[in-house]
Amino acid sequence: MASRNSSSDAQLEFVLEVPFPSQREASIALQALSPDQEPRRRGITKTLGASACTLSAKWTADEARILRVSVGSFLDHLALVIETMDVFGQPVLQ
Amino acid sequence: MTVVIGFEGSANKIGIGIVRDGEVLSNPRRTYITPPGQGFLPSETAKHHRSVILTVLQEALDEAGLKPADVDCVAYTKGPGMGAPLVIVALVARTVAQLWEKPLVGVNHCIGHIEMGRLVTGARNPTVLYVSGGNTQVIAYSERRYRIFGETIDIAVGNCLDRFARVIKISNDPSPGYNIEQMAKKGKQYVELPYTVKGMDVSFSGILSYIEEVAHKMLSSGQCSAEDLCFSLQETVFSMLVEITERAMAHCGSQEVLIVGGVGCNLRLQEMMGVMCEERGAQLFATDERFCIDNGAMIAQAGWEMFRVGQTTELADSWITQRYRTDEVDVAWRD
Repeated sequence: MASRNSSSDAQLEFVLEVPFPSQREASIALQALSPDQEPRRRGITKTLGASACTLSAKWTADEARILRVSVGSFLDHLALVIETMDVFGQPVLQ
Repeated sequence: MTVVIGFEGSANKIGIGIVRDGEVLSNPRRTYITPPGQGFLPSETAKHHRSVILTVLQEALDEAGLKPADVDCVAYTKGPGMGAPLVIVALVARTVAQLWEKPLVGVNHCIGHIEMGRLVTGARNPTVLYVSGGNTQVIAYSERRYRIFGETIDIAVGNCLDRFARVIKISNDPSPGYNIEQMAKKGKQYVELPYTVKGMDVSFSGILSYIEEVAHKMLSSGQCSAEDLCFSLQETVFSMLVEITERAMAHCGSQEVLIVGGVGCNLRLQEMMGVMCEERGAQLFATDERFCIDNGAMIAQAGWEMFRVGQTTELADSWITQRYRTDEVDVAWRD
């Protein structure tokens, strides 16, 4: 969740954890979402990771506005990846 | 047999095609069409692609009669193009490549056009004119590179046509260029416009500014019709393209011209290029809208060539890029 420190150069933080049915799916999502860099180079960092069945994403940002855009776009992308897995994931598993 | 599925979505078309050893098995496509007077913006275009991509993917598989297991390789457009739409397409390509456990190949969009043009027309070693909404280049192959002999120094020829269409509110359905082409057939007088060839390069932004400035005045005063402007613009910009293509042919001693890219399906451009070719005893190759306009099969075809010579893309290196020049690609599949 977003939080703000009291110091003057305070940074916003946002942590997201997404559970997947299996480690394989969490790993696929991580590798699909990782390659593209943030369009904005300054004022925001995003770190993705996966452990076991959980995909995790952590942001630090200077401004809420920038954070919102990045998180919103990430969630859109995540939803697309999950939908793709739902529709096209079955045949190989059978 | 090698089966490659190709994902394309660098501009306002989203297409997914499947190619098996030079045979196009399926090639469905959707176009994001904006109202007259409006261009397509990156985020809106990405939303469009997002809303249809999985349907188009299912269509591509169904029409080809294939299961994911039959696919050998997943190709997608790495660039150049608009960032947001490119990301949408890359995300789905990366996901299915992993789900199906197939290698991924990141394709240069321009190379896709060239390889598709070569496949469809059978041109062996042509001088290529690549003309679309985002690109204008004259290209010749030499020593494992598609080398750019001439190009636009500002906006693409298709961008010039699209933006002119917006100025006089020509419909974007099916495409502004198609509608300009139809109107130009009814043009009766030639309105003189700037003609801007600079050596091997061309420039279109000055022509656009000029026509933007005079269009409404000339139309409201009845000096000329919208059809006359369409005709005059086409004649001017196509003459420029034919001129630089001819110069590139003379440099290379080439006897073949291949026109690719969305503007390449314009029959007036093909006709003008044909006249030049006839005078030089050269041969013209062009394709119709199925393969000229952005489509998935062209990415599959270039991906097929790359996959066959072992050029695959690791997931970590599969980032998209808005800038990716044609001459950056190592064309290892040609002699």
